Amino acid sequence: MGDLFLPEVARIASMRDETPDTRTFALRLRDDRRHDSFSFRPGQFLELSVFGFGEAPFCFASSPTRPDSIETTVRRTGQLTNALHTLAVGDEVGLRGPCGNGFDVEAARGKDLLFVGGGIGLPPLRGLIWNVLDERDRFGRIQILYGARTPTDLVYKDELRTWAARGDLELLVTVDRGESGWTGNVGMVPTLFDKTELRPATTLAYVCGPPIMIKFVVQDLLMRGFAEESVISTLERMMQCGVGKCNHCAIGHCYICRDGPVFNFKQIRELVE
Amino acid sequence: MRPANDVQGRDPGASRLLVKSDLVSWIRRLMDDAEVIAPAAGAGGDLMFGPVTDPASVWLGPGNPLQPPKQFVLPQTDPIVRIERNGGGVQVSSISDERARVIFGMRSCDARGMAYLRRMQATDLPDDSYLRRADRIAVVTLACTTPCTLGFCVCCDAGPFARDGHDVQLVDLGDRFLAEGATERGRAMVADAPFRPATQGDVVRRDELEREAERHFGDESAHLGAAMRRISTRRVAEELWEAMSPWCFECGGCNFICPTCYCFSVKDRCQDHGWERCRTWDSCQYSAFTLEASGHNPRERRKERIKRRFFHKVSAQYYQRDGAVGCVGCGRCVQTCLGTTDMPAVVAAIRKGVWHG
Amino acid sequence: MATVLTTCPFCTCGCGLHLQADHGHLTGSAPSEHHPVGQGKLCARGWHAHEAPTWGPRLTRPLLRRGGEPVEVSWAEAIDAVVQGLSRILADGDPIGVLGSARATNEENFLAVKLARGALRTGNVDFCLRAGLQPLIDGVAEVTGDPWPPGRLLDLERSEFILLFEGDLAETHPRAASLVAAAVKRGARLVTVGWHQTQMSRLAARHLPVDPGAGHQVIPGLLAAVLDGGSADGAGAVAADPGLAALRAGLAGLAVGEPVREVAAWYASAARASIVVGEGALLPDEARDGAAALAMLAAVTGHLGRAGSAILILPSRGNQRGALEVGVRPDALPGGVPLDDAAVIAKLRRTWSREPSVVAGLDAEAMVAGCRGLVVVAEELPAVLRAGGGGLDALASASFVVVLDSFATATARAAHAVLPVAAFGETDGTTTSLDGRVQRVRECASPPGLARPGWQVLAELVTRFGLPCTYGSIGDLHREMTDLVPLFGEIGEGQLDESWGALVSRPATGPGVHLRTVDLGRRDPVEGPCVAVFDEAFDWGSDPSVAHAPTLCRDHVARRKLFPTGFVEMNRADADRLGVRPGWAVRLTSKHGEVTVPVVVSGEVAPGMARLPFSARDRVGVVLGGRGRAGVRVERA
Repeated sequence: MGDLFLPEVARIASMRDETPDTRTFALRLRDDRRHDSFSFRPGQFLELSVFGFGEAPFCFASSPTRPDSIETTVRRTGQLTNALHTLAVGDEVGLRGPCGNGFDVEAARGKDLLFVGGGIGLPPLRGLIWNVLDERDRFGRIQILYGARTPTDLVYKDELRTWAARGDLELLVTVDRGESGWTGNVGMVPTLFDKTELRPATTLAYVCGPPIMIKFVVQDLLMRGFAEESVISTLERMMQCGVGKCNHCAIGHCYICRDGPVFNFKQIRELVE
Repeated sequence: MRPANDVQGRDPGASRLLVKSDLVSWIRRLMDDAEVIAPAAGAGGDLMFGPVTDPASVWLGPGNPLQPPKQFVLPQTDPIVRIERNGGGVQVSSISDERARVIFGMRSCDARGMAYLRRMQATDLPDDSYLRRADRIAVVTLACTTPCTLGFCVCCDAGPFARDGHDVQLVDLGDRFLAEGATERGRAMVADAPFRPATQGDVVRRDELEREAERHFGDESAHLGAAMRRISTRRVAEELWEAMSPWCFECGGCNFICPTCYCFSVKDRCQDHGWERCRTWDSCQYSAFTLEASGHNPRERRKERIKRRFFHKVSAQYYQRDGAVGCVGCGRCVQTCLGTTDMPAVVAAIRKGVWHG
Repeated sequence: MATVLTTCPFCTCGCGLHLQADHGHLTGSAPSEHHPVGQGKLCARGWHAHEAPTWGPRLTRPLLRRGGEPVEVSWAEAIDAVVQGLSRILADGDPIGVLGSARATNEENFLAVKLARGALRTGNVDFCLRAGLQPLIDGVAEVTGDPWPPGRLLDLERSEFILLFEGDLAETHPRAASLVAAAVKRGARLVTVGWHQTQMSRLAARHLPVDPGAGHQVIPGLLAAVLDGGSADGAGAVAADPGLAALRAGLAGLAVGEPVREVAAWYASAARASIVVGEGALLPDEARDGAAALAMLAAVTGHLGRAGSAILILPSRGNQRGALEVGVRPDALPGGVPLDDAAVIAKLRRTWSREPSVVAGLDAEAMVAGCRGLVVVAEELPAVLRAGGGGLDALASASFVVVLDSFATATARAAHAVLPVAAFGETDGTTTSLDGRVQRVRECASPPGLARPGWQVLAELVTRFGLPCTYGSIGDLHREMTDLVPLFGEIGEGQLDESWGALVSRPATGPGVHLRTVDLGRRDPVEGPCVAVFDEAFDWGSDPSVAHAPTLCRDHVARRKLFPTGFVEMNRADADRLGVRPGWAVRLTSKHGEVTVPVVVSGEVAPGMARLPFSARDRVGVVLGGRGRAGVRVERA
């Protein structure tokens, strides 16, 4: 690794609005050769520079099995993300990474997979989901449970329809509060567990979402017989450097940006401030 | 990599002598090839490390500047990436600082601190530009033959004589300095005239001085070992952290003057034709250090932040990860702490189980 | 790399710091080890004093508003336009005024006074934060006869007893708080008086709870206790004072609780005892009488004038004391002398070669509301006016507003002419700490673009109005100030260069101690099941030097982002009773109006109280009707 903090220049190849405040950006490194050789694992993240505003970590939302596209989904929450949302297709940003450990796709081979996403927690799972779907025959049963506050807050609406139409996976979607025209489930994500059949013994569960949702989902899964090692999540912390130097994301002596962000629940339980 | 200093197998023949009257001419010679940084009395009478313009102003008397030489490897505002807009596109390039420098008159605690920082930047993902900068710096330490008022380096194995992190160590023998080259670079620095070989008597005197200096520290010590056991096994009562928290004013000074603290944030600074991305010192004692964009803050309470600081500095977990305890016993936090939560005070409290006991 | 020794620009404690610059940018701040106040320490703000000038949105070129849009112009063009604009208003005989600032140096403020009283011939000169400080200073002065309260900041460290009226000292004046903590560690007794729990109250031997903003409530009791209890050791010194009998009579029959009695005894019996009045401890209505009563407490116990016993009134920001001393006030001349001081008037006439205006002018709020022409020197009005952002609306009625500032503030955006000036670290000058230490601030890096030192710009403006300002250097300006501001007369240039700055000591100007009856707490009764009150501490998040310092602004930014419409802090018990959880909305209703805001549960706020952030006064102030507190009804919204 040459220069730890030097970003590569990338262009915004395309953008898609997911919700009123969330947008998916497809990035392409300006240097074609670099773009073609860029590789990452689902669950890893990139440090995205908006020049003049610094950089911030965002997870890869696309799958390495579709190397044309480096995608990330970003909600407007602060200065940098606001600035990012004002950029247009063709504008230049900086990209540094991949950072973090990512999901262990190999270890999931042959297993049943349960994806549980909440709100803006679906993007890190989306990369893994497409990865798995692109190698569908290597994995067992696939269940995707996804919830958001309202139907408007659901991200990847088109893809949710695509997944729903596929016969090789089970997709359940719920919202906390319905809107007019919503005919689907209403209720928190854990309520979906009663609407499907869980097989704790053979399943790896991937849980991403807001901390409070993760807490309830994990509790529920453990009570239903999942082993702590089989419940896998990504942790979020305030991050700056992404390379284990700045110390913002440290929990105990672990750095979320290096030792994580993907942990199983047994590891998470052992992380102490 | 800097070659390790083999103190145990010290070759007395490697020790050299410099008559004090030749000191200025030696510094001047060092200035020919490198920027020499040394302590000198600055504005307000404050002792400060800074580039030497007049070798005669270099201060090698008692005392150590309040601001450690950390700023020369890790400046408070440190440009790391240049971002230039030209024409249609953006050009990015690393900013590196590979000036040849000598830090002169550093004390063993600070040399240990520099070694700690270097190790930290070299492990896991190495920060090459940091390493290039740090490795261009030759370190000439001055052994502490009389202990400073607030230091406790003996408890951290960081002094009073340097064991690592230096190229040359000077020992004040009265009218002359014993000069020990600890690295190849250091040995070259003291090879030629006006240096001459040391006598056996000089070397014996040096060892006496070291023993005397160690003895002078007496009971003034921070019992880091006892604290480390309790912190590592999380056997420090929550009430104790709670009791400390109103005595911390969250100034961040303990971090900023600490020779081993390196936490930072990254910010873009506006330039004429773009920006410079800067690494800037940050403090784990600030509430916003862990504040997330969502507003959630995992270390919202001050006692959690104090606990964090001491976990990083004196836990066995970090000892294993970083290879050393994160304190060099320089005692600066005792002076700069706006409250009373400096290293010796907190370590004593952990050992005794009572705050301000 | 350049390093200069300078003075921290923030809270008026006046700590010394070394400012560093590299390649023309300010890059670092470090404490000065031997500075008598800082002693090698800085607070978080001090450690980041270099940040705002480096990262803030800087004004780099003069701007004139043309067709509603700011247009970059040359200095010559800008100064011409400013002189023309102001001259037109003068010619029309319309009100015109100058706002100095706590953020400006003594030199800039002095020239602001010269611009007003000399060049524009008006008494309309003031700074916005004066309103909160002046009554406290006046109250003490009325009793002691000295223009400034007695004692120094460093007296705190050696005090055996400290009576602290809060505020939240640890947040507003960290160095002062640290000296108090050091005293407590040495064994001093600390008593805090306040209406919420603070860091300092947790260090206190006793906390005397009072109603919000009503620190004055305990003072009559303390006075009565020392006068009855025979612990008025110093009564001998004031026995002859004709006011003593009136004071006694006024307190006769007052029921005094045991805790107050005990605190009074501690104070009276301590060899060195200090009183500290922090921000927001005394509401404006009670400030003058409260401060006077505290000075009387010191007088009757013999602490007044005793070495090591201080009364410290803490200004909220930067150079407030300096601004007052050089005369940025509508009711006094430079040096704080009365408007009819013939000797000073004669000096002004001689030095300025012009008859100075010696009339009483409008205060800051009235100027913002009523002046057609206004020169604003480094004031960000929404940050320092009680009306908050409302102050800018008032500016809209002015026909010509000139702003001198380093930062692109909201006030600068509302101006007709903007003159970019050097920020902290880019210009030389002096500032005055809360205890009268006049210290240098120094240039470490050049101002960006075309920005110039503020004192040079002001000097040019004053010159254009016909007053000679031929200052070759800031030293020349100091000589004029030394001549005109009696307080500066005691500071030689050498003193500023060689020492840590001079502590200005002044003989008493009045007839000595003067006692009178105290009349406290009879105004503005608060009725309602719950008392809503502003957190009166100065909102640093609105000050450009913090708002633009990326490390310092984080907490402020986060709060503003989380609660864009403001919030209310309540005790958990109250929140439970209302059935609301953190973040849920409640409606506060008072006789003045109502407001709906989310709840923040705080352990610091006592039951029955609702604390509103001063920073959100634009949005929540209506419920308080422009006052500091009001009775309110709180309901779940």
